[in-house]
Amino acid sequence: MSTAATEPASDRAKGDRTRGDKGEVLVDVQDLKVHFPIKRGIIFDKVVGHVYAVDGVDLQIRRGETYGLVGESGCGKSTLGRAILHLEESTEGTVTFDGQSLTDLGGEDLRKRRRDLQMVFQDPMGSLDPRQSVESLLVEGMKAHGIVGDAEAAMPRLKQLLSDVGLPAAALKKYPHEFSGGQRQRIGIARALSVDPELIVADEPVSALDVSVQAQVINLLADLQEEYGLTYLVIAHDLAVVRHISDRVGVMYLGGIVEESDAADLYANPLHPYTRALLSAVPVPDPDVEDTREQILLSGDLPSPANPPSGCRFHTRCPWRQESRCDDERPQLRLVEIDGTTGSHKVACHYAEQIASGEIQPHDVETQTEDKPKELREAEGDEVADDIPFT
Amino acid sequence: MTTTTPETARRDPRGAEPLLSVRDLTVTFKRQGEDPFVAVDGLSFDVRPGQTVGLVGESGCGKSVTSLAIMGLLPDRGNTVTGSVELDGRDLLTLSNKQMRDLRGSDIGMIFQDPLSSLNPVVPIGRQVTEVLERHKGMSRKSAKPVAREMLHKVGIPDPDRRLTEYPHQLSGGMRQRALIAMALACEPRMLIADEPTTALDVTIQAQILALLRELVEEMDTALIMITHDLGVVAGLCDEVNVLYGGRLVERGDRHPLFHDPHHPYTGGLLSSVPSLEGDAAERLNPVPGSVADNLPWTSSCAFAPRCSNAIERCREETPAAVASGDRVLRCFNPLGGQASPAESEEDRR
Repeated sequence: MSTAATEPASDRAKGDRTRGDKGEVLVDVQDLKVHFPIKRGIIFDKVVGHVYAVDGVDLQIRRGETYGLVGESGCGKSTLGRAILHLEESTEGTVTFDGQSLTDLGGEDLRKRRRDLQMVFQDPMGSLDPRQSVESLLVEGMKAHGIVGDAEAAMPRLKQLLSDVGLPAAALKKYPHEFSGGQRQRIGIARALSVDPELIVADEPVSALDVSVQAQVINLLADLQEEYGLTYLVIAHDLAVVRHISDRVGVMYLGGIVEESDAADLYANPLHPYTRALLSAVPVPDPDVEDTREQILLSGDLPSPANPPSGCRFHTRCPWRQESRCDDERPQLRLVEIDGTTGSHKVACHYAEQIASGEIQPHDVETQTEDKPKELREAEGDEVADDIPFT
Repeated sequence: MTTTTPETARRDPRGAEPLLSVRDLTVTFKRQGEDPFVAVDGLSFDVRPGQTVGLVGESGCGKSVTSLAIMGLLPDRGNTVTGSVELDGRDLLTLSNKQMRDLRGSDIGMIFQDPLSSLNPVVPIGRQVTEVLERHKGMSRKSAKPVAREMLHKVGIPDPDRRLTEYPHQLSGGMRQRALIAMALACEPRMLIADEPTTALDVTIQAQILALLRELVEEMDTALIMITHDLGVVAGLCDEVNVLYGGRLVERGDRHPLFHDPHHPYTGGLLSSVPSLEGDAAERLNPVPGSVADNLPWTSSCAFAPRCSNAIERCREETPAAVASGDRVLRCFNPLGGQASPAESEEDRR
């Protein structure tokens, strides 16, 4: 590898790279859709339906902020994160990163651009190659992006990385299995940091960890952001964790963002019925709160993303559902101004104002059995299964 | 939707005789070429009918091994279980495998963490529920079917007739967990052990399942052992909370005093590690430093000492004893808030 080519890069690695102003839009997602085809057939694949994993998401992440994406499993939050990094081919829509469209990039250009976009995964054991030492894990990315020529030249940077994430320098020669879960997640974070990225997408970074270790990793992420001016997209299902680390929070339900606002505002004034239900369902480690609070118990399960309900995706489980509009008109994410909220509170609900003012009261919801599309049931041979006698 | 407000004044089950009484339960795993590993070390607690007792701790604290030992589900070889587990005065540890098989499912039910791997993938849900009734109640499959249907309905599975014929993979995660609960409750056991029953579920589904468990305990007067790492779940569900660390009980108390005024530094550390939904979000979390790998052996010190913010010299030299005062049990030389420390160290029982 030619040293001349690597010189400007190693300057960048020391943190000298010029970065745009804090607060400007770094990632701009417009109407992003990711649909996975469901294929059936023995010889010829026939597309019998689609899983609408991400279905029309608009999202802006500003430089230096932490955007938290919450939602339950199956809501498409991980797919959205991966689609932003172009790890998942998007069906429609655009992702603009720092003024450059990622959707149009391919091949070598995309590979180079990836240096600015790194990811921290949920399962630290599954995302670290068990046969590579920590040193080789960390050097790999730097070599690929031409930041360093060989492991020796990388040594000062490696030591810096390890001390940044709170691991001893002796860790370099060890292998992933020799570490505890929390330490492995630190290695994963160090690997993401090694190429000096601008954006880190962290998909459930702490959900596999014990409570006490979870807090250590959350603090570490906050420290690193301050030191390196990183931008985070944190994907998690734990609402308390997201509230703690995020500046802004988006709530996802069945492929779409239903509510978005500043973290403090969203948790103080949840406007969307789903957000309200979600927040009321989180167990709080305080017996007094647990004894007195009102829980909104949603009936049923998340409908299948292969056959999302018409109109508002949440109308099948929504206690505030109205006769008109909810069933057939999909609400757009819109700015709402209600007393007590900041000016940037967006919500996708036709009746957000009326619900907030108490004009519309919740009512009981009939449990609906979710059903797959008919073609899909046929393709899976469901009616055959129904014929199997029970006894 | 149902809006529920849990009753503030719950019935106090403490007056009743204990249904299950665990005394000095110790589980040791033999390891080839290494010292034996003591997973559970001298654990004692009681569970009364209608009472929910929580076992809380992080991975490796011995909470799941405790439940397996009570159920007699540990493998026959490679481990030793000592102490006693008395159900109605009958020591479960002395029973034969056959006798235990008769008890499991009828007197003691168990709900596991991962419903998909606890259900048989090639047998319809309905048959898995009727199987329990056939085995323990001597019912025919035909007569058990309406009971199974009723159970599925009771745990809130919509359209139970269709679900009876379906296989586990056709159900959603929450529905599978409900089916598992239906199986555990089919014979109306007096004792129910739930090992992380909601960990694999989403919060809205978790809320449904917890509400269901709460209802069942009240309705059927079942004694429930709730094993979890989630302090929020404990705060809402358990009457009495046992905090375990490194296989030993470090603190026990009723949920209100325990959460408001934790005495053991580990309990306090756990509570301050959890980000909250209220208060200042920008406030830094106070994690417990280090990890379980730093533990000292209990035999000559306090295992938690290396991670403890309150550790004093004595913690590394002596084993603290579990001292009871009222309903509280505490194993610490230098507790939070400066309570009087126990005077003598525990005698080595073995």
